[in-house]
Amino acid sequence: MFENPEIALDDLPDTDGLDWERLHPLYTRALRVASAIILTIIALGISALNFVPNLPLAPVVALYALLAIAAAVAMIWPGVSVRRRGYVLREKDILFRRGVIWQSVTAIPFNRIQHVETSSTPIERKFGLAALQLFTAGGSGGDLRIDGLGEDAAESLRVFILDKAGAAIEHD
Amino acid sequence: MNTTDQGTWRRTSPFAILFFVGRILRLIAKNAWQSLAPLFALLIAYQGDIASKLTLGGIVFAVAITAGSLLSYWFFRFQISDDSILIRQGVIKKKQLDIKFDRIQGINTRQNPIYRLLGLVTISFDTAGSAGSEGNLPAVTRGFANSLRDRIGKPRTVELADTADSKAGSGALVHLNWGDMIRIGLADRRALIVFAFIGPLMERIDENIDRYISNFIRIAAANGIELDAASGISIGLTIFVAVIFLFVVLSIAAAFLRYHNFQLFLDGRTLRSHAGLITAHEHSMELGKIQTLRLQQGILQRLLGRYRFTARQATSGKDRSQKVFIVPVVTAELADTLRKKFLAPEGGRLSQDPASDRFVSISPYYMRSKILFIGLLPSLSATIALSIALGAVALLFLLWLPVVAAASYLNWKRAGFMHDDQEIVRRSGLLGYRTVSLLFRKVQRVTVSQSRYQRRKGLASLRMYMASGSVRVPYIDHGRAKQLRDYILYKVESSQQAWH
Repeated sequence: MFENPEIALDDLPDTDGLDWERLHPLYTRALRVASAIILTIIALGISALNFVPNLPLAPVVALYALLAIAAAVAMIWPGVSVRRRGYVLREKDILFRRGVIWQSVTAIPFNRIQHVETSSTPIERKFGLAALQLFTAGGSGGDLRIDGLGEDAAESLRVFILDKAGAAIEHD
Repeated sequence: MNTTDQGTWRRTSPFAILFFVGRILRLIAKNAWQSLAPLFALLIAYQGDIASKLTLGGIVFAVAITAGSLLSYWFFRFQISDDSILIRQGVIKKKQLDIKFDRIQGINTRQNPIYRLLGLVTISFDTAGSAGSEGNLPAVTRGFANSLRDRIGKPRTVELADTADSKAGSGALVHLNWGDMIRIGLADRRALIVFAFIGPLMERIDENIDRYISNFIRIAAANGIELDAASGISIGLTIFVAVIFLFVVLSIAAAFLRYHNFQLFLDGRTLRSHAGLITAHEHSMELGKIQTLRLQQGILQRLLGRYRFTARQATSGKDRSQKVFIVPVVTAELADTLRKKFLAPEGGRLSQDPASDRFVSISPYYMRSKILFIGLLPSLSATIALSIALGAVALLFLLWLPVVAAASYLNWKRAGFMHDDQEIVRRSGLLGYRTVSLLFRKVQRVTVSQSRYQRRKGLASLRMYMASGSVRVPYIDHGRAKQLRDYILYKVESSQQAWH
């Protein structure tokens, strides 16, 4: 019943030279818009301090300076980090890579996926984007989330992966 | 009551009222303030002296609990259907629980002394994927529990007919004696935790002790015995040792209560343990559901040369509770014999003994970031930040650095891994040792990650996510990590067996 052919480690399919699928080109802009909205709200909050009488100038200026730094990071960072993210669909698994300073590649075999979910925030919908979430069994961080896919891509990935996962379960 | 006949709603034995009393008392203990507030309000409103207030309070309390348990018992019904157990309960808020047989990972029983006289047990279910629901069947007969076990267990043992021959060996695999109880008690870390809690209290008691000691010295002096400061200290020390001794005795007593006459059996593919001095606990677990095996040794256990061996099942549902099967005290050799039995026929060839010389160590660069970010950075910044306030005393913060460096070195020395074609064992620890093993084919997903520094050195960390949590092998060669990852994917994707 149980066969166990010997496999040379070097013969296994590796991940070098794979064509990584990029995320949707509008995703960077969507991230910037989302940050811009939050930054604007914070800026409005700080400007409300103008109505406080007898407030020394220095802390307010410091707050604005901090906000400016945060804004600069929030505008530049998506351009750097989104370029690093990508995924590859293979016959039996999906790989997802991310990270600029801490880089990681996550692999999920289709026969371990329990269910698949797509979701989108209002901003993402405005840009025609969606997120795909893959759930495996187990507690801590038992799921993989791929943000910034095109709506169509997310939907077709969902159908494709569900199909693969279902086929794998039937074989068990 | 002895059968698992289908299709009728039934009540359990009236002795289940005991179980409900316990449950209500636990609930009250858990949210003491909310549940006792009405009682306090009543007592404050009631005119009278303290004694009659207390009597009234006691009566109201007892009546409320009795009524509550009677009602809980009256509204508790269960039914066995083709493929599930239905439980209806709740006095005001009705709850119906539907536990499917194929989701039940284990049937555990508890038996308090009264139930033992009557041959009754309380069943609790280990289920996969239920969100904190309380699957308990109180006060059913032992025969009922066994027949339920058979019903749920049987289809599986038929599936795995090829391993059913091991059923013949039904003698206990592990049998703990009183010496082991003492070892469990000695190694119990809870004693230390209790001590940490008592510590602040001790300070308050301190004054009394001081007074007591000075009294003692005065009496001694009156009797012509000279007592100096040194003997004062020795009296203090004696008290300290006595307190520790008391806690050790208490935790040994706790070990006797919980693990007395611990026996471990293997029935076919089902693991069973039986233990307990007053309340008898019985746990069961399907071998196929084991996700990881852990062998742990704290610093006290190291002196005793013993380990704690646990098997973890998939975490269940939203409550993320761990389902753990425990063998509280084993030797490394016994653990290896056990794991051979547990993982057969696929794995179990590797040793989980931390002393095994087959462990491959990880890169010593592992120590660098720890020393840098936990040691150097905090100690330097603390020294600089507090140098104005404290002066030269602030330099003492620099002593933190060698402590962290030593700890990092120990941690690195203990880190290691080994694998064959079926399983991997990872070793870690700081003062004690911990080894975790898993079968490659049960992995849920794998991540290979690199920090900037690891990239420069060609290193990477491999993290294997299991249904029971993740296991990380840090700072190994990047190529090796990728190769292991690819091999794990191959094992998972070519596996036709269920992982759970």
